[in-house]
Amino acid sequence: MKRLLSLAAVVALCAPVFVNAQQKNSTEAVVRAANDFLATLSAEQKQKVMYAFDDATQRARWSNFPTGFVARGGISLKQMTVPQQQAAMKLMGTVLSPMGLEKVNEIRQADDDFKANGSKRGPGGGGPRPQGPPPGGQGGPPPQFAGRGPGGAGGPGGAGGGPPGGDMFGSDLYYISFLGTPSATQPWMLQFGGHHLALNITIAGSQGVLTPTLTGAQPALFKLNGKRVRPVGRESDKALALLQALDESQRKQAVLSYQVADLVLGPGQDGKKIAPEGLKGSKMNEQQQALLLDVIAEWSGILTEPYAAARMTQMKADLKETYFAWSGPTNTEAGTNITAYYRIQGPHLVIEYAPQSDEPGNHVHTMYRDPTNDYGSALVKP
Amino acid sequence: MKTKLAACTAAVLLVCSIPAWAHRIDEYLQATILSLEPNQVQASMRLIPGVMVAPSVIATIDDNHDGSFSENEKRAYADQVLADLSLSIDGQAVKPQLDSWDIPDASHLRDGLGEIHLEYHVDLPPGTAVNRTLVLANRHLSGSSVYLVNVEVPQDRTLHVVDQKRNPRQSVYELDYQQVGTATESSGRWPRTRAWWDGLQLSSLFHLGMRHIAEGTDHLLFLLVLLLPAPLLAVGPRWAAPATVRQSLLHILGIVTAFTIGHSLTLTLAAMNFVHVPSRPVEVLIAVSILVSAVHALRPIFPGKEAWIAAFFGLIHGLAFASTLNRLGMSRWDRVAGILSFNLGIETMQLLVVALVLPSLLVMSRTSAYAAFRIAGAVFACIASAMWIAERLFRVQTHVDTVVNLIAQRGLMCSGILFAASGIALLLFARRSEEGVKS
Repeated sequence: MKRLLSLAAVVALCAPVFVNAQQKNSTEAVVRAANDFLATLSAEQKQKVMYAFDDATQRARWSNFPTGFVARGGISLKQMTVPQQQAAMKLMGTVLSPMGLEKVNEIRQADDDFKANGSKRGPGGGGPRPQGPPPGGQGGPPPQFAGRGPGGAGGPGGAGGGPPGGDMFGSDLYYISFLGTPSATQPWMLQFGGHHLALNITIAGSQGVLTPTLTGAQPALFKLNGKRVRPVGRESDKALALLQALDESQRKQAVLSYQVADLVLGPGQDGKKIAPEGLKGSKMNEQQQALLLDVIAEWSGILTEPYAAARMTQMKADLKETYFAWSGPTNTEAGTNITAYYRIQGPHLVIEYAPQSDEPGNHVHTMYRDPTNDYGSALVKP
Repeated sequence: MKTKLAACTAAVLLVCSIPAWAHRIDEYLQATILSLEPNQVQASMRLIPGVMVAPSVIATIDDNHDGSFSENEKRAYADQVLADLSLSIDGQAVKPQLDSWDIPDASHLRDGLGEIHLEYHVDLPPGTAVNRTLVLANRHLSGSSVYLVNVEVPQDRTLHVVDQKRNPRQSVYELDYQQVGTATESSGRWPRTRAWWDGLQLSSLFHLGMRHIAEGTDHLLFLLVLLLPAPLLAVGPRWAAPATVRQSLLHILGIVTAFTIGHSLTLTLAAMNFVHVPSRPVEVLIAVSILVSAVHALRPIFPGKEAWIAAFFGLIHGLAFASTLNRLGMSRWDRVAGILSFNLGIETMQLLVVALVLPSLLVMSRTSAYAAFRIAGAVFACIASAMWIAERLFRVQTHVDTVVNLIAQRGLMCSGILFAASGIALLLFARRSEEGVKS
């Protein structure tokens, strides 16, 4: 009897240790894809993409800026052969959901469009400026810098503002790097990014974490082969749908009385937890809460399963403590992007959507963070 | 007419030469994040000039117009920014104290890439106010600037943000917050001593100590496992008869005290930098200490010497506590007081935990179900510590932390269940306890 009892107790206490074992499939597939990619690299390339897991400098080496100005680590798609590029994108396709991969590719396409067409904002074009006319009397035409023409060196403008040489824009200027060795048991990181993109993916056993991640686009609305593309368009549409589903008193709490000119917790602001503002999830009805989760899903769903589902479970659990705050115009034409800033903040979440003042409806930066778990800090003992 | 045309051309040229990647063009972004502490408010300011305002910002910094920033010019600019701020606390004007400034080269700013970083703090006027109001107004280059002001969620649990108000531009910011549970006694005679004392943030260190035990599950597990056989007497190679309540209590008191003495000693020595031990072997040894005490709970290997073992391993656990204090970067003498309150926090939490499980252990040890419970607990601790050892020694990944944390997070509930279980055990097995002793 006594032995039986103790045996049962031991089994009960230890069972959870082994349950986790089933979830490894996804991580193993990611590790395989990562190793397949690494196997295509030359020794020299490999040395360039691999960093120590605890390399804090490389970890934080990301930005919204083009890579010509803020150099990233690792190697770019441009520096790869075609099979290497394919293996790299296969890896991205394995670690990201189809939605996430599409978003990444559309952000890259936006950079191609920018390279070819520059900023299209002509006189009177673009959205209304939130700040009024620029001070100093410069009321003239806004920037028309067309990047580098295909095959042409030296854009207009030339001296002064030009890049210090090298390429500025294009879908191949996206860099891949690894911190630590891809492993199904040991923690490691995969980074992929360039202009308007910084994916920081930490994999620790069966868990995958996307925070901190920056997405964005300029143009945020363009045509490719006759099709309209909005790389971060659903982020705009879904948030607006939530705002419009709020009743008047809720909206009063959600809409802030002041302007928010940019990301509060952008690049370099790791681990900061600001006091939340806006409308609390506990004051939303079920339908509104579902809409809020739907907005969050645009970021939490970038990673593949089961990482995305685990994150969603956490988001659902935090929902009542999650705030939604909005600043700026509360409407926009269908099919275009909002020109307002919004923030979603919960115990394990900060999402910011920040239109940039040079072209509010066509230039967006977004930030996705977990102040308690940026770079998987909660999973990995330092 | 001609001059107008020339001016226009110049403006167009200027505009055309602006690189399009410059996201901020004609604004000077000034973003502030405040952090509240019991006795001061710290502010971290980022100033980012857009390419069109950069020339005027550069001209403001570069006083002698030689194209580069000297150290004096940088410092003078930082002072100027602070002079353009107005800060008040509870209606009383306070002066910001510059802590650090980091100003990139002029060329960086000109390209729209540079970020200026300033850190400053204000000391709070001593007061007994519970509700405090801080107002921050920023007039620096207000013609071309946009502002962001936010406050971090206070680390100190006595501080609570109540409300934030801003004007539409965020150039005026009002923060209402509550400060509860701080020392409210006036100590006007020793303002300096008090400022020093308060500056140590003893209460937050006390909380840190408590959290360290509550979250440092390996320390807790060691202590709990060591307590498992404490209500029993060893007879030969086995655990047998329950000791009397008085014996058990004395025994437990001895173990906890010995552990405290042990870790206080090394915590003090290490925190004062008298000894330095790398953290990995310490972490491994802590896992070993759990294994040893778990084996002891199964079969007495050092009966009657638990207090010595507790003291010995306490020495090791103290080294781990010290690494937490080390990371806080206090000066050596501030540490003395810091260690004291940190240690008090550890003791308090420890005593709370002992107080929670002790009644259950004592009750259950009078029943025959205790053997099953003791063995189950010890085996669990064996497995957990073996996994910890593997993790820390060979850097492999296991799920032990997840599981142990899962239990620890529900500590109150678990101890409740334990108490209920001990009650049930008393009802069901009490009569048979005599037989249990004999068998």
